[in-house]
Amino acid sequence: MMVSSTSLWQRTKQVTLSVPVQVALLASLCALILWTLYFSTYPPVHDALHATRHGTAAVACH
Amino acid sequence: MLCTRHDMVRRRLLVTKVIAVLSKLREFVMKNLKYVGMALAASLVCVFLWFNPLPSRASQPSVQLQTEPSLSQVVPDEAPVRMALQAVDATGQPLSNVRFQLQLLTPVKTPWFTSDFPIVEGTKLLELNAKAPSGKLEFEQVMPIRGNYTLKAQVTPAIAGAFEAFDRSLQLSVPENPVKYRNAAILIGILILAGIGGGWVIGSDRTVQNGEIAPQPIRLLLSAATVVAIAVLLFVNISAELGSARGHGEMQAATTPSVQRSQDLEVRLLGDRQATVGQLSSQTIEVIDPKTGNSEADVIVNVKAIALEDNKQMFAYQGRTDNQGHLTWKEQFFDGAPHQVVAEVAPPNSLALQVSHEVEVEGIEPPLYIRFISLSYYTGIFVLSLLGGIWWHRRSTRSVSLFGR
Repeated sequence: MMVSSTSLWQRTKQVTLSVPVQVALLASLCALILWTLYFSTYPPVHDALHATRHGTAAVACH
Repeated sequence: MLCTRHDMVRRRLLVTKVIAVLSKLREFVMKNLKYVGMALAASLVCVFLWFNPLPSRASQPSVQLQTEPSLSQVVPDEAPVRMALQAVDATGQPLSNVRFQLQLLTPVKTPWFTSDFPIVEGTKLLELNAKAPSGKLEFEQVMPIRGNYTLKAQVTPAIAGAFEAFDRSLQLSVPENPVKYRNAAILIGILILAGIGGGWVIGSDRTVQNGEIAPQPIRLLLSAATVVAIAVLLFVNISAELGSARGHGEMQAATTPSVQRSQDLEVRLLGDRQATVGQLSSQTIEVIDPKTGNSEADVIVNVKAIALEDNKQMFAYQGRTDNQGHLTWKEQFFDGAPHQVVAEVAPPNSLALQVSHEVEVEGIEPPLYIRFISLSYYTGIFVLSLLGGIWWHRRSTRSVSLFGR
């Protein structure tokens, strides 16, 4: 049982530190930040960055 | 020697084949001489017309458009553009006593490279019925987005039979605001740098030392990402707080009543108080004689629409009331923020009468799919840079190990 949980932990660490997972995590973080800053309709965020959104190509606002 | 003889045989065969094809072509031409001749003549005519186009509208009345500034210098969603339309007859002389029916249409939808007002794309921006005694119509309008606008003008005589009614469609090409490209380039630069940096770290040695949960570079990267996330969220929240504090203090327009009266005139401002982005909103000025209640025709009225958020003039026009004492126009308030419509009548013997009302404009959120398309572009740039960083690090490591060997 001990051996099994240790190998599971090793496997989790390996998967987490694998390049595809690291790339996916970083890309998701980047996409989330971009969405929050440029595309979110949450009023406080939208109002704070209204001018920036209107001043950046390919960013839609209203 | 053998090779040379073989080449000669191949050449002879080739020449024979070319001769055969040419003779077939000759037979075809001879058989269809009439059609070939017609095709050649048509081609010659097309070439001639290409280089010497016919003056197609020279013998027809037209509408001449002048803008201030010139269209190439117009910046979308900035200062209003002054447009002057002049109706001219077939000889180019100005027509007088003209009635314009005008429609200004926005550029078509471009979801793959959206403008900042996607709801405004492919809609009507302005509809105006105007009397023009000198054949000239002038107005000012802020152009919301880049692209090709269509100005449809229907010109009819104010005096029946003075000339034949006609309509013309003009294209107005407005360039994109260069600041947008600069800001996009800065954003792309940041994404590329962050992507290459992240890829460089991810691509490094990932072996875990004893007692470590993750290798040092990965821990550093995670810490950096956390710091970035904290900084972004702090910035967003603080800006939102400051923005909302400012927001409560603005939108206080110096309002005048929507009805004003002098000894000779009574001016009323009627029309929509609620508007939606993407749709036209109708506004009407009514001028009557307060003593008799009769409508006053041909009274000159100055109208303008002001965006209250930054006190910017979006539309201005000087028109005349019609026989019912009305001046009506339809305009789209493309910015989802409160606007003020102001009208001023300056009677010859008394003080100017100014009326106004506020229009609440409902903004429409851009469709999700348009935002996802743009997000995919910017995220795609980051991912490509990330992969580039990994590849670059591995290539350089391989080079070092090769040299080491």
